[in-house]
Amino acid sequence: MHPRPSNVLAGDAVVSYAGMAVDHRRFFDDIAVGEEYESPGRTVTESDIVLFAGLSGDYNVVHTDAEFMKKSVFGERIAHGLLGLAIQAGLFTRATSAYATLAFLGLRWKFKAPIKIGDTIRLRARVLTKKETSQGDRGIITLERTVLNQRDEVVQEGETDLMVERRRRG
Amino acid sequence: MKPAFFEDIVVGAAQETPALTVTETHVNMYLGLTRDMAADPGAVPELLPLCLTTGLGWRAPQPPPAVLAFMGCEWHTVRPVRVGDTIYSRARTVTKRTMRDGGVVVEEREVLDQHDEVVQRGRFTFLVAKRPPAGAA
Repeated sequence: MHPRPSNVLAGDAVVSYAGMAVDHRRFFDDIAVGEEYESPGRTVTESDIVLFAGLSGDYNVVHTDAEFMKKSVFGERIAHGLLGLAIQAGLFTRATSAYATLAFLGLRWKFKAPIKIGDTIRLRARVLTKKETSQGDRGIITLERTVLNQRDEVVQEGETDLMVERRRRG
Repeated sequence: MKPAFFEDIVVGAAQETPALTVTETHVNMYLGLTRDMAADPGAVPELLPLCLTTGLGWRAPQPPPAVLAFMGCEWHTVRPVRVGDTIYSRARTVTKRTMRDGGVVVEEREVLDQHDEVVQRGRFTFLVAKRPPAGAA
């Protein structure tokens, strides 16, 4: 769910005057507890929902049947919760420079309110904890993430755990 | 096919889905839709198997539950999934609790690959509709 380039990718690198690629990824050592990021907004469209239904195969009527949903408490189709989760992962890549992520370990997530067609969501993320591991070359970063809509209502929130590379010594 | 309502869901019941080969097309559609990133050209972004597992459930022979809302999930990646891997999932209902406007159902779910090794696992919490009263539309 996060940029994890095994080698330096275009956009994360510049070529210095000496012709050496410079690695701009942020390592475990560079990331401080309490750091906060806010992403740009992203408007969730009908196309996003239709594409996600096609990709995932989740055709639940709450996402696909406009007539049925007119009579529901929501009044209209709503986005798949996992679409919101996946979009916030993309928003994270636009909120801060890439972490030197080795692996996405897991998440604890709550879907608090529906995302409707035309809603504009954004991500607010904060570094909650940093844990060293027995292997000296990596550590675990836990981020607290809040997905907000255009009315600043929390639509989703949770925590994600990432294994992030340490800066090489010497 | 009628969906499975809260009353139809049995604690302890297990379900296994048909399988799906994760292709470069799935990855590219996912990356274009979300702007998430992949580690390298053959990597499958970790959230994609999680997104695919809900649709896999729709291809199981049992009717899909009448999910009103996805309330939450806990999810762990166990091993990486690569383009070309074939995944399927196994789910088991662990608890159900009745509420006024439906019921809460907690399910444990695993995603496995072609070697029957678990690649991702976790727990989903859903709000499921109750059966409409007889005579209701």
